[in-house]
Amino acid sequence: MIRAAGAFVLAVALAAPVAAAPAHVTVVDAGGALAFAQSDPSVPIAGLLLLVRAGLDRESAKQNGLAALTAEALLRTPIASAAQPDSVALADAVDAAGASIGYAVGAQSVRFYLEGTPDGVARAAPLVASVLAKGPAADAASLAAARAALAERIAGEEDDPRLVGRAMVRSAYYRGGAALPPFGNPAALTALGPADVSAFYASWYLRGDAIASAVGNTGPATDAASRELLGALRAGNAQATVLVTRPAAAAGKRIVTHREVGAPYVVLGFAAPALGERDFPAALVLRALLSNLFERTGASSAAMPFRSTGALYGYDAAPAQLVLWINGGRVDPEQGLAGIDAIAKAASAKPLGAAVLARFKETARGQWALETVALDARASAIGGAVAHGFPPDTADGVGAAIARVTAADVLRVAKRYLRTYDVALVLPRGNGN
Amino acid sequence: MSGLRTSLWAAVSAALLVCAGTPGGAQTPVPEPPATGVLPGGVAYALRPDRAQPVAVVALWFRAPAAGFEGPPVAGLSRLAAATVTASTPVTGTALAQLVERWGGRLAIAAYPDSAAVTLTVPADHALLAVRTLTADFFAPVTDQGGLKLAQRDAAEAALLRSFGPDAIEDALGAALFADGPLHDGTLASPQALASVTLARVRAYAERAFRPANAILVLTGDVGAGALGSVATRDGAAAGAETPAPQTARIATEPLRASGNFPGIGLGWAGPPITAEPEATALDFVADALFAPRTGRVTRALGTLKATVTGKFVTYRNPGIFLVTISGADAEAARPLVERVVADAAQPIGAAEFETERARFVYRTLADLTAPSDAADTYGWYAVEGDPAYAPAEGGAQGKYFTLAAHLTPASVAAAVATYLARPPAVVTMTKRSGKAE
Repeated sequence: MIRAAGAFVLAVALAAPVAAAPAHVTVVDAGGALAFAQSDPSVPIAGLLLLVRAGLDRESAKQNGLAALTAEALLRTPIASAAQPDSVALADAVDAAGASIGYAVGAQSVRFYLEGTPDGVARAAPLVASVLAKGPAADAASLAAARAALAERIAGEEDDPRLVGRAMVRSAYYRGGAALPPFGNPAALTALGPADVSAFYASWYLRGDAIASAVGNTGPATDAASRELLGALRAGNAQATVLVTRPAAAAGKRIVTHREVGAPYVVLGFAAPALGERDFPAALVLRALLSNLFERTGASSAAMPFRSTGALYGYDAAPAQLVLWINGGRVDPEQGLAGIDAIAKAASAKPLGAAVLARFKETARGQWALETVALDARASAIGGAVAHGFPPDTADGVGAAIARVTAADVLRVAKRYLRTYDVALVLPRGNGN
Repeated sequence: MSGLRTSLWAAVSAALLVCAGTPGGAQTPVPEPPATGVLPGGVAYALRPDRAQPVAVVALWFRAPAAGFEGPPVAGLSRLAAATVTASTPVTGTALAQLVERWGGRLAIAAYPDSAAVTLTVPADHALLAVRTLTADFFAPVTDQGGLKLAQRDAAEAALLRSFGPDAIEDALGAALFADGPLHDGTLASPQALASVTLARVRAYAERAFRPANAILVLTGDVGAGALGSVATRDGAAAGAETPAPQTARIATEPLRASGNFPGIGLGWAGPPITAEPEATALDFVADALFAPRTGRVTRALGTLKATVTGKFVTYRNPGIFLVTISGADAEAARPLVERVVADAAQPIGAAEFETERARFVYRTLADLTAPSDAADTYGWYAVEGDPAYAPAEGGAQGKYFTLAAHLTPASVAAAVATYLARPPAVVTMTKRSGKAE
């Protein structure tokens, strides 16, 4: 017989750890620069995001890969430190300080992420600031190493059919630099030299529109680090760009490519609202509906290769793009595409029934909670919201906003965003179909 | 159950009994329950909330040999049984896996040689429901043919995924190190073996393994003490946790040969038991210092060789094991380099280099504990292996584990290497299986 245990409330000396209050975002005094912190003292490490407006939208077609090459060159800039008296690359010096640093290239920004124990962040931040103040080493050897590192990242993306498809539907959706591959391509990278990197850095790595956001075990160490990193950037603002996308009324593109992949993938790109926009919560409900369309009931949450469908939502760019993928190894690609098309049309034609709406609002809230667990995701959500003019704690309110989504909201958003879409078909090499 | 674990929980239980009798009135503030304890139904628990997290994690750990308690061993039986429970339709009408999917959460099943874990990551407002459902479904397990069929597919997919990585070689090393027991039998199942397991065997395993008294409930993330009141229990379930299954060290002879989807070489050493905490911490440090990607001493020594080397110390009750895998086109050429670097680690390194390696080790270990599910894994693992107070997540950077890490010295680390890694390792050579991957 199963029964619930009775109330278990007992007074003891060995009390459970005092639970932290839900975290709020606070403003960090960084001398006028934009800096924020969201404390979670139960986490033993801290993460610090530095967002600079030096993303793909700053590249011309001939400069594809330059945003990534500049970021990579920064991490490979030689520097001496107490732990490493002989000059080593910045990333290695940070590592020796008991921390780590990486970066992501986006449509409208590059986001550096420094993580470590508070002591590690305190040791590493001056190293990073020192390189930011001088700019990236643009000598031939450093750039060759940076190009090699980018070539590895490019190859890594090429191995993943979902990312290949996403790159294709991105290129169909965005105009200008935002349509270009984030890491460029190996041939284009060789054409970029020291002067290009130096000029790109000087033009776009500016304090006035940079944002620092610290998460986790924040405190004096991360506050100081935020000030150091922002303070190392050159003063000034750059003119903001406006991302241009294909006209909403334009017919979707159909693109086919072949790669060394095990199964065909169908990837669909939809226009979508960005984080902070009114339509965003309803779009997450639609994402839950569409990305679970073909999932079979299993015994545990399926690992990625065994999922039938999924979504990659680039909500940190505005306008954003929602990418759905169908694993042709699990679902017949033609049927999968027809199924998504049918659901998109149905959702655009009439309101969802109450039961379906409740079901997918619940799923959407859970999915959102799970994708904001990682420290870097939390830091990025703060920086991304501020970059688009929204409050820094915008992401924290999304769960409650999903709960308020109505059938009319979903219908409105479906009508606006689901009617046309681009399709990329990623086929295994040698497949003649 | 180790003496330490028994005495700790016995002490906590005693404290509960004593304090339960303390007079209290309506004016008395309701206190928090202890962070670690045993519920009236016999379920041990660890409650480590972090209310700043957006999710709650609810995990059940069981001490249970992966290949079964009795009868012919079937690698992966524990995972199959757990998956059959999550996929079968309970009396409440909806399978646990379906519920979690509807919540937008994540359900993970993990099988280790001597334990199994089922972990739910759910939005915080589903925490109580998750606790109630998970404990009800596992403490009175319903297993049906439909659930078994789904579980067999799920287990086969999990095994296939693992078979394409170093896990496959590490699993095979168990048979090279031990003549019998859970580590010898391993966890990596063949699809054929999984397909032949009967519902009766799965049911018998689930009934024995997934009892309240054999469970450790771990709660992390945004979950309050009230969740403990939602734990289901079961009248009439057998009391007492399972005792660790015995295993016998294998006399090292010729290298074992195996075939699979991931060719390479495995080297394995028996290490200290979990209760030898300073030495176990030292070997964790060594694994990081030697094998960390990019900065590890072995990684740097490889130079231009096309080889990937992994190394880890796994803190089992007794003994722990140190596992190294070498894969890639130049694996054979890399092996002597790897063995030389390991042998060299028996000599103390300089103080400055040691401090750098310690800073890296501390950060990387802490970084693996930031997500509530990661923290739950360490609490569950160290509790099931008999030393919960030694869990790296316990107390964070100021806890027992990292205090021990702070006290490591170049000499103590070198001594641990000399004691455990200077002897010839057990060796497995995994060759590529011909034909279709399975």
